[in-house]
This record gives sequence, structure tokens and C-alpha cells, in this order.
Amino acid sequence: MSLSIPQSEILVRLMDAAQLRHRVTSQNLANVNTPGYRRLEVSFEDAFAKALSKHGEKGIASVTPRVVEGASEATRQDGNTVDLDRELGSLNKNSLLFSTAVQMLVSRINMMRSAITGR
Amino acid sequence: MHGNPLFAAADISASGLAAERLRLEVVANNIANAFSTRTPGGGPYRRQDVVFAAVLNQSVRGAAGRKGSLSHPGGVQIVGVADDMTDFHRIHNPGHPDADKDGYVTMPNVDLPIEMVNMITASRAYEANLRAMQLFRQMTEQSYGLLRNQS
Repeated sequence: MSLSIPQSEILVRLMDAAQLRHRVTSQNLANVNTPGYRRLEVSFEDAFAKALSKHGEKGIASVTPRVVEGASEATRQDGNTVDLDRELGSLNKNSLLFSTAVQMLVSRINMMRSAITGR
Repeated sequence: MHGNPLFAAADISASGLAAERLRLEVVANNIANAFSTRTPGGGPYRRQDVVFAAVLNQSVRGAAGRKGSLSHPGGVQIVGVADDMTDFHRIHNPGHPDADKDGYVTMPNVDLPIEMVNMITASRAYEANLRAMQLFRQMTEQSYGLLRNQS
């Protein structure tokens, strides 16, 4: 029997990626008025899901979130590709994802605690 | 960025807030001086514009496309405030003390509609940076919740 908290590895990696994505989105928002700035993105979930379905929880250690130059449909006249509303949406979505991961981790820790204390 | 890497996101948002605030200040200065025909340097007021550059891992990524590390974004850097070298407006007003011999006054090259648009974009961007900072605070507090005994 394993003593580690179930799925904690997955959740922690997800929180890491969400933290990095928040930083990158903040960078895009800080540079919304910088001419020529190309927006950045974090690519993580696709590779993560693939590794998870292929190798299970052991396969995810090799997957790290990567910062890439983001795809952009529209370039503004000053060469900037940041869309304020899209970044704000991604920011909200990302913080929701982070909350979800934290809540799941909390419930697993509490489950572990009640198993240990028997209460 | 000088701060703790743990709070890098807050530093990034703070740099954005500072940049947008400066932009608003410059816009306010332009509007306030939209009719100033005299300056210490002589001639009418010249409108000013801010110059921003993205910071990636301490190195500024210039227009030439020299890249810093993408995974260490460092916010936005205020490069400076530059003068707008477009032509001054000339209006006919012979009664003005600064009119030339033909009755024309050289007025600042400030266009109020342009300043208004800049003001709106700056204040919207300021709000967005503030929102990013608030969300970061929320997320950090949730992480702290894990450290507390019961969450």
C-alpha cells in the first residue's frame, strides 16, 4: 500500500503550470501597450494528458510546462498581438483551474488525515 | 526584477501598473498643455509619448528581435518619454501675443482625440494589470491554505 496522497503528483504539477501561466498572462497584460510585443503562451495540458494516458502517473515527471510564443489571429497596427479581453479571460480561467486543483488536494489531505486520526 | 521569484507575477503586474500610470500622467500633461505657446526652451509645447519595452529575463528584447529567455518574463520596462516630432499646428489669431507678423500662432501639436484614446487604453490596461494582481493574491492565499492545519 502506498502512503502517498493519491493523485497529489498530478495536482501539484497542474498547480505549477497554472502558476507559470498566470505569470506569462500577467506579462502579456503588462505589455499590452508595448509596440511590437508578441504574446506568450504556456503549452502544457496536451503533452501532460498524452503522457498521463500513455504511462499513467509515472509518465508525467518528464512533462514540464513550456513558454512559447503564442498564436495570434490579429496583429494590431503597432505590431502588438495582445488582446486584452482574451488575456483577462485566460487569467480568470487559469485561476479557476488553480482553485480546483487546490480544493482537490485539500480534500485528499483531509481524507488522509481522517484515515490517520480515525476521526 | 529584483523581488523574490516566488512573487514574480506580482512584480510583473506592478511593472505594468507603473507603466500605465506613467502613460496616464504623460497624457494628462499633454492635455494640460494643449494650448501652451511658451516653454522654457522656447516655442510651443511639444506633445510627449511614452516608450515601453518588454523585459524577458533581464534582457530587453529590442525591435531587432533579440530574445531573452521566454520562461522568465520580467514585465514591462519604461524606456523613456520621447517628444513627438510632428509639425505644430498653426492657427490664425492676430490678437494673440505670440502671433507672428502674418497673424499666425504656432500651437502645440497636441490632438485631443488622440489623447482621449490613449487615456482610455491606458486606464483599461491599468485595470487589467490590477485584476491580474488580485488573482495572484487569491491564488497565493489558496496555496497558504494548504499549509494551514485545516483548509
